[in-house]
Amino acid sequence: MQITVDGKELEFNPGQTIYEVAKENNIHIPVLCHYEQVKPIGACRVCVVEVERARTLIPSCCTPAEDGMVVYTNTNRVLKSRKLTVELLISMGHHNCMTCESNRDCVLQDLAYEMGIEMPRFEEPKERKPIEDANSMIIRDMNKCVLCGLCVRVCQEIQVNNILDYSGRGPRSTVGPAFNMSLEEAGCKFCGACIQACPVGALSFKQGRFGGRTWEVQKVQTTCPHCGVGCQIELWVKDGKIKRVYGVEEDNTENKGQICVKSRFGLDFVHSPERLTRPLIKKDGKFKEASWDEALDLVVTNFRKIKKEYGSDALGGIASSKSTNEECYLFQKFIRSCLGTNNVDFCTRFCHTPSAVALSRAFGGGAMTNSMRLVEKADVVLIAGLNFTEMCSTIGALTKHLVQFGNLKLIVVDPRGVEIADYAKVWLRPNIGTDIAWANGMMNVIINEDLYDHDFVEKRTEKFNELKKLVSKYTPEKVEEITGIPKEEIIETARLYAKADKASVLYGMGVTQHIYGTDNVSALCNLALLTGNVGKEGTGVNTIAKQNNGQGAGDMGCLPPIYPGGQPISDPKVNKKFEEAWGVKLSMKPGVTESDMVINKGKIKGLYVVGGNPMRSGPNLNNIRKVLEDMTFIVVQDMFLSETAQVADVVLPACSFAEKDGTFTNTARLIQRVRKAIDPIGESKPDWEIICELSKRMGYEMSYTHPREIMNEIASLVPPYGGVSYERLEDGGLRWPCPNKDHPGTLYLWKDKFNTKTGKGFFFPADYNPPAELPDKSYPFVFTTGKDLCHLHTGSYTRHSAALLELSPEDLLAINPLDAQGLDVKNGDKVKVSSRRGEIKINVRITDRVPKGTVFSTLHSSEIPVNVLTIDTLDPLAKTPELKICAVNIKAV
Amino acid sequence: MKIFRSHILICGGTACRASGSVAVRQALNHEIARRGITNEAQVVETGCNGFCAAGPVITIYPEGTFYQYVTVDDVPEIIEEHIIKGRPVERLMYREPETEKPIPHVKDIPFFGKQKLIVLKNRGIIDAEKIDEYIARDGYLGVAKALTEMTPDEVIEEVKKSGIRGRGGAGFPAGLKWTFARRAKGDVKYMLCNADEGDPGAFMDRSVLEADPHAVLEGLIIGAYAIGAHQSYIYCRAEYPLAIRRLNVAIAQAKDYGLLGEDILGSGFDLNIDIYQGAGAFVCGEETALMASIEGRRGMPRPRPPFPANQGLWDKPSVLNNVETLANIPQIILNGGDWYASIGNERCKGTKVFALTGDVNNVGLVEVPMGTPIGDIIFDIGGGIQGGKKFKAAQLGGPSGGCIPAEGLNTPTDYEEITKMGAIMGSGGLIVMDEDTCMVDTARFFMEFCQEESCGKCTLGREGTKRMLEILTGICNSQGKEGDIELLEDLAATIKDGALCGLGQTAPNPVLSTIRYFRDEYEAHIYDKKCPAAVCSAFFKSPCQHACPVEMDVPAYIALVRAGRVDDAYKILKRTNPFPGVCGRVCPQFCANKCRRGQLDEPMAIAWLKRYITDNGSRPNVEPVKVTREEKIAIIGSGPAGLTAAQDLAKRGYKVEVFEDLPKAGGMMRYGIPEYRLPREVLDIEIGDIKALGVEIKINTRVGKDISWDELKNTYDHIVIAIGAHKSWKLDIEGEDIDGVIGAVEFLRAVNLGKTIDVGNHVAIIGGGNSAIDAARTSLRNGAGEVTILYRRERKDMPAQAVEIDAALEEGVNIEYLVAPTRIIAEGGKIKGIECKKMALGEFDRSGRRRPSFIDGSEFTLDVDTVIPAISQGADTSFIPEDAEISIKRDRFEVVGRNGTMTTADGIFVAGDAASGPATVVEAISQGHKAARDLDSYIRGKNNEPPYKAPSEERIDIPFEVDEETEEQPRGSMPDLPVTERAGNFKEVEKGYTKEIAYKEACRCLRCDAEIE
Repeated sequence: MQITVDGKELEFNPGQTIYEVAKENNIHIPVLCHYEQVKPIGACRVCVVEVERARTLIPSCCTPAEDGMVVYTNTNRVLKSRKLTVELLISMGHHNCMTCESNRDCVLQDLAYEMGIEMPRFEEPKERKPIEDANSMIIRDMNKCVLCGLCVRVCQEIQVNNILDYSGRGPRSTVGPAFNMSLEEAGCKFCGACIQACPVGALSFKQGRFGGRTWEVQKVQTTCPHCGVGCQIELWVKDGKIKRVYGVEEDNTENKGQICVKSRFGLDFVHSPERLTRPLIKKDGKFKEASWDEALDLVVTNFRKIKKEYGSDALGGIASSKSTNEECYLFQKFIRSCLGTNNVDFCTRFCHTPSAVALSRAFGGGAMTNSMRLVEKADVVLIAGLNFTEMCSTIGALTKHLVQFGNLKLIVVDPRGVEIADYAKVWLRPNIGTDIAWANGMMNVIINEDLYDHDFVEKRTEKFNELKKLVSKYTPEKVEEITGIPKEEIIETARLYAKADKASVLYGMGVTQHIYGTDNVSALCNLALLTGNVGKEGTGVNTIAKQNNGQGAGDMGCLPPIYPGGQPISDPKVNKKFEEAWGVKLSMKPGVTESDMVINKGKIKGLYVVGGNPMRSGPNLNNIRKVLEDMTFIVVQDMFLSETAQVADVVLPACSFAEKDGTFTNTARLIQRVRKAIDPIGESKPDWEIICELSKRMGYEMSYTHPREIMNEIASLVPPYGGVSYERLEDGGLRWPCPNKDHPGTLYLWKDKFNTKTGKGFFFPADYNPPAELPDKSYPFVFTTGKDLCHLHTGSYTRHSAALLELSPEDLLAINPLDAQGLDVKNGDKVKVSSRRGEIKINVRITDRVPKGTVFSTLHSSEIPVNVLTIDTLDPLAKTPELKICAVNIKAV
Repeated sequence: MKIFRSHILICGGTACRASGSVAVRQALNHEIARRGITNEAQVVETGCNGFCAAGPVITIYPEGTFYQYVTVDDVPEIIEEHIIKGRPVERLMYREPETEKPIPHVKDIPFFGKQKLIVLKNRGIIDAEKIDEYIARDGYLGVAKALTEMTPDEVIEEVKKSGIRGRGGAGFPAGLKWTFARRAKGDVKYMLCNADEGDPGAFMDRSVLEADPHAVLEGLIIGAYAIGAHQSYIYCRAEYPLAIRRLNVAIAQAKDYGLLGEDILGSGFDLNIDIYQGAGAFVCGEETALMASIEGRRGMPRPRPPFPANQGLWDKPSVLNNVETLANIPQIILNGGDWYASIGNERCKGTKVFALTGDVNNVGLVEVPMGTPIGDIIFDIGGGIQGGKKFKAAQLGGPSGGCIPAEGLNTPTDYEEITKMGAIMGSGGLIVMDEDTCMVDTARFFMEFCQEESCGKCTLGREGTKRMLEILTGICNSQGKEGDIELLEDLAATIKDGALCGLGQTAPNPVLSTIRYFRDEYEAHIYDKKCPAAVCSAFFKSPCQHACPVEMDVPAYIALVRAGRVDDAYKILKRTNPFPGVCGRVCPQFCANKCRRGQLDEPMAIAWLKRYITDNGSRPNVEPVKVTREEKIAIIGSGPAGLTAAQDLAKRGYKVEVFEDLPKAGGMMRYGIPEYRLPREVLDIEIGDIKALGVEIKINTRVGKDISWDELKNTYDHIVIAIGAHKSWKLDIEGEDIDGVIGAVEFLRAVNLGKTIDVGNHVAIIGGGNSAIDAARTSLRNGAGEVTILYRRERKDMPAQAVEIDAALEEGVNIEYLVAPTRIIAEGGKIKGIECKKMALGEFDRSGRRRPSFIDGSEFTLDVDTVIPAISQGADTSFIPEDAEISIKRDRFEVVGRNGTMTTADGIFVAGDAASGPATVVEAISQGHKAARDLDSYIRGKNNEPPYKAPSEERIDIPFEVDEETEEQPRGSMPDLPVTERAGNFKEVEKGYTKEIAYKEACRCLRCDAEIE
C-alpha cells in the first residue's frame, strides 16, 4: 500500500490515517483537536490537506490513507484554509498569553505563529464568560476554549465519566457539564484528564495558578505514592513546591497518561502545614520538639534497655507499604540484624496477607499473576469484592472503556453496588461473606456442564478429585440458599466465565478481610485452575493491593517468616546467605505478626512503626489502644502525627515520596523509580537515612550514600530482583521476576509451570463457613467498610490534602433507603452506630447501592474512629482480622 | 363497498387545516346529514392537495369541480346548489389571474394541469388513513412484485435503470447506494428514511407523509428487501405531528394486512419499521448526524469515510433515503426503470417535487418532470409574482441553496445545471422573491439560519458562519466597510472547501450566489449607504423616503397635511425637490412602491398629496443668492437635471448660465410630457423660482450652432451637460424613413411647440412605455380617428404606468399585445399600412420577462396613416467635437466611477437622461443634485477648500399623530375630468385632491418613520 504525500511515495499499513503516515515520515501537518488516545473527529479543520480528485479539502487526522492516494499538505489552497481556520479559532474567545498558564505550551499559540497571524481579521467577542474556579482544583476559562472537544472525548472515551459534553448549538456551542452545572454539582471525579488533554489554556490547574510557567519549572518523573497501580507521573516543581501533576503518556507505563484525582490534585499533602518537621519526644503525655540526636539517642537507649531486659524478641517492627523498596529492605534488615529478631511485619497483615498465603499454596508465589493492563487482553473479567473504579481509578477507567468501546465483558460480584457494577454484563449480589459458596457453585456448574479445561487440569494441576467432590455439594439451588444469588445467575455466570477464551479474576479486600479470607482466595484460584485461566496473558488470579508498595514491602521481606524475595528464614542455606551478606548472626526463630504485636497482647515491649497506622486501620481499636499503651516504648516514624504516632513515645519526622529517591513495586510486580523532586521539608529525613542513622547508633553500621546502592544489594540477594538496577529503571519499570541483567522482566506468571514442589497448581477446596459475627436482635445490621475515591492509607496522606478533603470531607454511613425509612433518618442525619466493642456517631447517606440490612462506611475521618466497631477475630492462617463484617446497631441521634 | 353519487374531497393537509378545513369538513358532514343525503354524498378527508395558497380547497367528483377558500358559511350553498341541484357554485371557483374567468374543472387550472404526478399521484384523492384506498390505486403492488417475482439484485438493477437520484439534495444515485449496502458485510443492516425536512419553506416530505404514508412504507420495504435489512427507522421531526400520526396508522394497518412484520406476503422476508422523532435540528438531516441522533447521541455529523453504506447506524451498513426518493420506488418497481427513465432530461430522471413559496401567486406543492425550467414553475404553475411586482430571484435548495436571478429563469431543474447557477436542488424548496427583497438581507437571513443550526462541531461551520453573519449583519446595519465583500468571499470559499459536513459546506451558497448576481446591491449598502429594496431599516427613517431618488421627507409632509399645515409642508417639499408641482403630477412614485401601507391595502397616494400641497400651499419665498465664487458654470439643457444642478450651484454662490436650444425652458417636462398631464403654468412657476435665485437661462441657444463648444469651454470654468434624451430610437425595419413616420419624442415636441401635425385617421404607435401612451393620447387629441398601440409582449410587461394605460384605454386607444411591426408599407411616398407579425413568448430574457419571437405565417397588415415608434430614445450628442475626449456609448455619456457624474473629460459633468438613458423627472432631479454636489466638491478639492456646508434650515416641527387602530381603507381616488370633457383638448385630466380627501389620505400614513423608544 502506497500513498504520495508532497511528491514522496510512502508505504503505509491499512487503517492508518493520512496524518499518521505523514507523521511517521516526518512530514509536518499541524493538528489541534487530535490526540492519539481518543477517536479523531476532524472538528478543528486545521489538519486539512488537498487530495487529488477530492471535491473538498480533507481532514488528514481522520481520513484513512488509500492505496494510490495523492496528497498535498502545503498548497496555497491548504495554507489559506488553515490560516483562516486558525484566525477564526483565535478570535473565538479572549486569549491573553501574558498570564496564561499554557503560554509556550499551547497549540493555538504555536499555530498562530506557524501561520504568521499577527492579528486575526475578526474581532474578539464582546462578552467575556465568567471564569469558573469555585473548586480548588480545576479552573475552567471558557474564554480560551477552542471547542476541540478533547476534554469531552477524554472524559467520555478514556475516563468514561461522561461529565463533559457539548451543549448549545452553533455559535453558542460550549463544552462542560450538562445544564451549566459546575463540575462539583455534575459529580465530576476530578481526574483532571481534561486539563491534561486541553491544548490551550481553557482548563488549568488551580493549585498551580501563577505558580510557574512551563519553562520555569523542573519536571520530574516519578511514581504516584497513592494506590497500587503505580501511575507514572510528572511533577512540575518550582521553588521547592509541586505545582502541577501530569500523567506520563508513555506506552511502558500502566497508566499511559491517565491518573486520578489523588495523584492530580491530592499531592498537596506534601506541603501540608501539618507535616512533622522536627522529631518529637513525649514528656508527661505531651509531645515536645527535640533535636535528632536527642530523639535517636532516646530510641537507642530504650531499645537497648528492652533488649537487655526482655531479649530481642520483645522488640518488634511494623513496616509500611508506603515506604520505598529500599527502605523496607533496610527496615527488615535493621530489625533482623540489629535488633536480632524476626518480629517484623507490615500493614498488609490487615488486608492482603490471605492472598499471599492462598496464592503461594496454590501456585507457589503470592503475587498478582498478571499486569494491570491485563484487562486489555481479557475477554471476561470477574471482579470480586473490589471497588475497582475508586480503588484503582485509572485501570477502572480503562476497564469501563473496554466494556463501552471494546468487547470486554464483566462479571462483578459485590454486595454493594460499586460503580463498576454498572458496567457489568452480570452483577452478582451475594449475601456478604458468602464468597466461597458462589465460587464453589460456579465450579459445580462448570464441572457438571463439562466446561472445564480438561487438558489444563490434567497436565498442570493436582487434587482435582478433591475439588470435584467438594464442589458437587454446591448445587446452584444450595448456593442460592446461602448467597441469595438466583441460581440462574450462578449458572449464567459460570458459563460466561468458563467459555471465555481468556478470563481473569480481579479481587480486593472484600475477599480477603474475613476469617476465611485465605479460603476465599483459594476458591478463586480453584476457579482459575479449573478453567485453565492461569499462565496466559489476560487471565490469572489478580489481587489488587490498595497500597503503592504493598507488593514491594512483602518482596523486601517485611514478613516474619521470610527474608526478602520470599526466602524462608527456616532454610539454613538462606539463613547462611544473609548472615554472610549482612555480617551478623541471624535468628532462625519465627517472628510474630502485626496482629500478634498489636491485637493480641503479647511479649512485645518495644515497637518501631514506620508509616503504619494500626490505630486507625486495625480492628477493635479500643483493644489496640490498650495493647499499645501497655508497651514500654513505641517509636513512630511518619510524615504526620497519625493516630498511632499519638500513642508513641518518640516520633521521627519522615520525608514524603517527593523528597527522596527509591523504587516502588506496584501491585502487579512492576518496579518503578521514585525520584527526588524537592528537598526534605523542615528537618524531616527519608526513612532510609533515619534507619541507617539509628542502626549506626545501635551499633550496626549501615552506610549507604544513595538508595541506588541499597538496590544493588537487594539485586545481589533477592533472585526475582536480580536484574534490577537504577540504570535499567531509567527507561521504565521492570516487572519481576527479573533474575538477571539481561532479563526483560515477566509480564505474567506461571506460563509453563508453577513454583510448587511438583511444578503443578494445587486445588485447595474450601467449604463455606459463616462469618464470625452475624446480625442478631441486639445488633441487627451488618457493618462493612471500605475506601472511597479520594482517600486511602487510612487517610494518612489524603486527609492532609486540601483538595481531597474538599471533595470527600467526612466518612458517611451508607444505608439502604428501606433501612433509613425504618430508622426514620434522612440524608445527613446523625446516627449512633454501636457494636459489642464500641460506638461512633456518623452522618447518614441514603443509597440503594448498599443492600437492605447492610451499612457501609469509609474509614478516613480522624474524628470518626470507625474501626472501634470492627471485630478482631483472625483468619487462622493469615492472621488477618475480619474487618469486612461485624454486627451493629443503629440509633438516630 | 358502498357507492355514493358524489364524493366531496376536502384537503386535510397541514396548510388547509390551518386555514380551517377541519371545521369545513364537519360542516359538510353536518349539512349532508341535515339534508338526509348521507347515502348519496360522502365527504373524504385527503392529504395535502398541493394548492395550499387557496385553502381550504375541496374537489367534488365525479365532476371534478374545484372550489377554493371555502368557509363554513359556504357549505349550505355547496350542498344545496352543487350536490342537490347540480349547479356548480361559480363564485368559489378558481379564476384565471389575467381574465378573472372562473375555471370549473380542476384539470384546467394551470397549477394542476402543468404538473406531472408520480410521487404525489394520490394527493388529494385518497384518504391517507385508509390502506384500502391506497391499495385500490395500485398500492403495495410494488412490494408484491419485488418480494415475489424479483431477487434483491434485480430490484437494485431496476432502481439503477430508473436513474433515480437521491431527492434529499445531494442527488446521489439511489441504486448505487443500495448496491454498496447490499455488498457490505454484516448480518444486521438498516434501511432508514429521512423525514427530517428542515429547510425553511420546504414541506414536500411532510405533505407526502400526510397524504400518502403507505407510499413511503412501500418504498422502505422494497429498499430493505433489496439491501437485506430487517429493521427500518423513519426519522421524522416531532414538529410534524400529523405526519407521525398518519405514519403510525399506516404502519399499524400494514402490519394488520401482513405487509409489514414477519413473513411479508408469505415471502419469508421480515421487516419492522419504527418511527424515531427528531427534535428538529436542521443538522440532523445530515445522514451521519441523523444516525447519531437515532443512537441517542447528540446530533453531530462525523467525517466520512467510513460511509454509512458500510458503517452507519450503530456501525452497521445502512441506507438512508429521503421521503420523496422512497415514494418513487414503488412506481419504479411496478412500471419499470425504463418507464421512469423516460421522464425527465438526459442527466436527471423522473420528476421533482418543489415547495413553491414566497412572493408567488400560487403557493403550494408542485411536481414537475426533471428539467422543467424554473421560470415555468414560477410563472406558469405558480401564476407569477404577487401584486404585479417584479420577479427578483428564487432561492433554491433552502438555506444551503442559492439565489437564481431573472437571468436564470430558463435554468432547467437539473442537479448539475442548478449547481452551475450557484444554487442547489436541495430537497426542492423554491422561495420566490420579488423586487421588494433585499438580497443582502436575504443572504443574512439564510446565514443566520445556518449558523444557528450549525452543530458547533467544526471550526468553519461554527465560527466561519458566525463571522459571515457578523459581516452581513454589519452591512445590513449600514456598518459595511470596504473589504467586506472580499472577506465574505474569502470566508465563503474556505468554508465551502473545508467544513466538515454538507451543512457547513453549503452554508455560504446564499452569500456567494447573491454576491455573484447582486454585487451592486452589496456595494450600494456598503458604499452608497443605501438599501435599494428599502428593506434594511438601518439606512432610513422610512422606506418611502429611502426609495425616493431625492429622498423627499415624505412622512413629514404627509404629517403636515394631516395637521393642516400646508405652507410648512410646501417648505419641506422644496428642500429636496425644485419641482414638487411637476412631480406631484408625473412622478412614477418609487416611494409608493415601497410604502408599508401597501402591505395592508394600497400604498399611500404620495404624489397626489404632494400636488395637493403645491396646489393649496403658499409658495415659499425665494431670495436671489449672491455670487460669491469665481468659477463660472455653463449648463447645457434646461430640463429637470440641468435646472436642478443650476439651482444647487447658484445656492452655493456660483455664477450659473443655462443654455437651452428650444424657445422655453423645461426640457422634457415641457416638450415631452403632454399638457393634459402637466399644465404649463405649474412648470413656469417652478422654473421661475430657479431663475429668481439668479440663474440665467439662455433660450434658443443651441450649443454647437449658436455657440461653439470651444467657446463655451473657454468662457466657462466648468460645464454640466444635461441635454436629456430627445432623439427617438429607430425601429430598424423597412420603410422607416418614409414621410409619416415620426419618433414619439419628436412628435410630442412638435405638438408642444404648437406645430400642427396631421396624423391622419389611423395612427400606429410602437412600444409600451410612457412615451407610447403619451403619443397615443396626444394623437387622439390631435384628431386621429383611431389609435393603435402595437406591443410585442403582454400588458403585464408594459413599462408604462398602469394609470396611464388605463386612461388611454378609457379614451379609446387600442392596444394590440404580442404584435410587432415587420415593415412599413408605402405607396407614393406615403404610408399605406404597417405589416405586423404576431409574437409568441418563449424563454425568459435577462429582464425576467419572456422573450417574444415571431410566429411564422402570422403576418397581417394594418392600414395606417402615421407610425410613431416609441421604443426608446437617446441623447443627441452631435454637438460634442470628436477631439473633446468625452466618451459616449449607445447615445449616453459615460461617467467615471461608481454612480459618478463626471464624464471622461476632466471637469465636465453630465446629469439626467443624457447619462442614464430615458428615465423619470425625479431621477433627473436627483442627478442634477448629484452633479452639482460632485462639481462643487471637485472644485473645492482642487482648491484645497473645506467641503461645502449648507446654511441651516428653518426648524419645522413635524407632528406625530397616528390613529389608535388602523382599518383597511383604499387610497383616496383622484377626481378627474370625464372622458367626454377630455376629447380634443389638453385640459388637465386630474383635478387634484380636495382638502377632505387629502386629510383622509394623509391619515392613512402608518408613520413607519417613527422611532419607537
